[in-house]
Amino acid sequence: MIPSDLRYHHEHEWVRLNGKQATIGISHFAQDALGDIVFLDLPKVGTVVKAGGQIGEVESTKTTSTIYSPVSGTVANINANLKDHPEVVNSDPYGKGWIAVIELMTPTEVDQLMTAAQYEAFLASQKKG
Amino acid sequence: MVTPVHIAILGAGPGGYVAAIRAAQLGARVTVVERQALGGVCLNWGCIPSKTLLSVIELGDKLKKADEFGLVLSAPARYDLPRMIARKNRVVAGLVKGIATLFKTWNIEVVEGRGEILDAKTLMVTGPNGAHRKVEAEAIIIATGSSWPHIAQFPIDGTQIITSKEALDLEVVPGRMVILGGGVEGCECATLLSGLGTAITLVELQSRVLPLEDEEVSMLMARELKKRSVDVRTGTTITNVERVSNGLAIRLADDTVVEADVLLISIGRGFHSQGIGLDRVGVALGRRGEVLVNERMETTVAGVYAIGDVVGKAMLAHVASAQGKVAVENILGHPTQINYEVVPAGIFTLPEVGRVGLTEQQARERAQAAGQHPDQSVTVGRFRYAGLGKAHAVGDTIGLFKVIADADTDKILGVHIVGAHAADLVHEAALAMQVGATATQVAGMIHAHPTLSEGLVEAVEDVSSMAIHQTRKKVGT
Repeated sequence: MIPSDLRYHHEHEWVRLNGKQATIGISHFAQDALGDIVFLDLPKVGTVVKAGGQIGEVESTKTTSTIYSPVSGTVANINANLKDHPEVVNSDPYGKGWIAVIELMTPTEVDQLMTAAQYEAFLASQKKG
Repeated sequence: MVTPVHIAILGAGPGGYVAAIRAAQLGARVTVVERQALGGVCLNWGCIPSKTLLSVIELGDKLKKADEFGLVLSAPARYDLPRMIARKNRVVAGLVKGIATLFKTWNIEVVEGRGEILDAKTLMVTGPNGAHRKVEAEAIIIATGSSWPHIAQFPIDGTQIITSKEALDLEVVPGRMVILGGGVEGCECATLLSGLGTAITLVELQSRVLPLEDEEVSMLMARELKKRSVDVRTGTTITNVERVSNGLAIRLADDTVVEADVLLISIGRGFHSQGIGLDRVGVALGRRGEVLVNERMETTVAGVYAIGDVVGKAMLAHVASAQGKVAVENILGHPTQINYEVVPAGIFTLPEVGRVGLTEQQARERAQAAGQHPDQSVTVGRFRYAGLGKAHAVGDTIGLFKVIADADTDKILGVHIVGAHAADLVHEAALAMQVGATATQVAGMIHAHPTLSEGLVEAVEDVSSMAIHQTRKKVGT
């Protein structure tokens, strides 16, 4: 359920590093908590984002939540397909439901994010809390 | 038999025609002068036409969910604009006829033509054929309304540069449109035309759409417009319009150029206070050209009253009607005053907006001015449509109830609703405010289940964090 090749942010976003670029999305846990996703308000290509800063919003039939960028850099691409098919974030959060590609300012920043094992432990601790 | 008081009313819009009927009910003899159509802008070119057309987009939105709902359509639904316009015209014609029928039953005389004031007791009417006729009365009510935008920089030609009047009578759906003005009308037109398939760029000088609404309403509306693929540009304006081979090249203040087939001007309405003889009798106008009136709707000239858009208060049909009733009641010896404290209003975007009273910002500013700390004296409760069983049942889960209350008195200061039926739902809050009910009193009233009205109770209870269907802990990303 939690892909081992990704890194995770405590606000439940994931990062897939590819050289100087990182693809980001929201985790299975996040999409499950949100319920049916109906809209994603995504940034424009070229927007400068900071790690921990808001990059967009995700709206479900239950709530609207902020999407935080797990990394710092410039938005290089967004998943335009989500405009008409936001539900793929529910069905395939780690694949077709990717949200944006960030051109990284400092690629080493990714190392500070949680590994899959750490994220799993983090989720378990959240459940207890 | 006592000779009835004769009242002449200049203009048969929602101010003038309502004043006419109320005056007749109170025993007056009434003459109404109208140069265009009974019902005025509201009925013929504004509120009713736009709602009639928007209702089709609302239906189309619903049908997009048909498959999910288990309703099988043999082909995808599509809009037939000429038929939509034809239906709109039938709806309008029926309602105009309805006013004519009401007038007949109350023996209200209608004089067709352009009227102007000769003196405080006389109107001169020039009929469509050029014939003149004097109307003498004991009192005159000016109800001439407001004019369509005319800004020198953007001359209306009715085809490439238009107002909402033409936008509600289009024969073909424009491919690309720029709307100048992200207020009520601009957002409604953006909803209508984006629904029909026009690529819309909405330009608003203020930092947010619906700048007079509560900030959360503006934020929600901006998101809903984006969902409709409306390109929302705030904090900018149009600096230049150039005619190019395939339409218009519209330059914005940030130097970007947007190409469009049509430019809709949704700012800059004026007042119909010129050319109707007001200067002849000495009726005073304000800086903006509005007719100055007091709470009794009296102008500065005895016996001459003014109501509706031309007095430049809230430019709303229902306010004009309320002012009209106040004017005739004062004329006919039932002293009364207009009160603008509780004026509910609707914005017929999709989703709708309903509002009454203060925005959160206004409430905070008022508290500050009174020497109170806004954080302590203004409390806010919210509840989302998504928390309502009825909203899920009918598939309208987008939206928010927001209640602003006074922490000390528990009185409701304002309510803002975005979502299905918001403009209807807001009236419960308006009544509560009108009678001075507290948030606790509203919360204590049993609300039927399953209804959207339950959202107001929950929002009112959320003022003290006691909403039942509100999760205790935030979940999500």
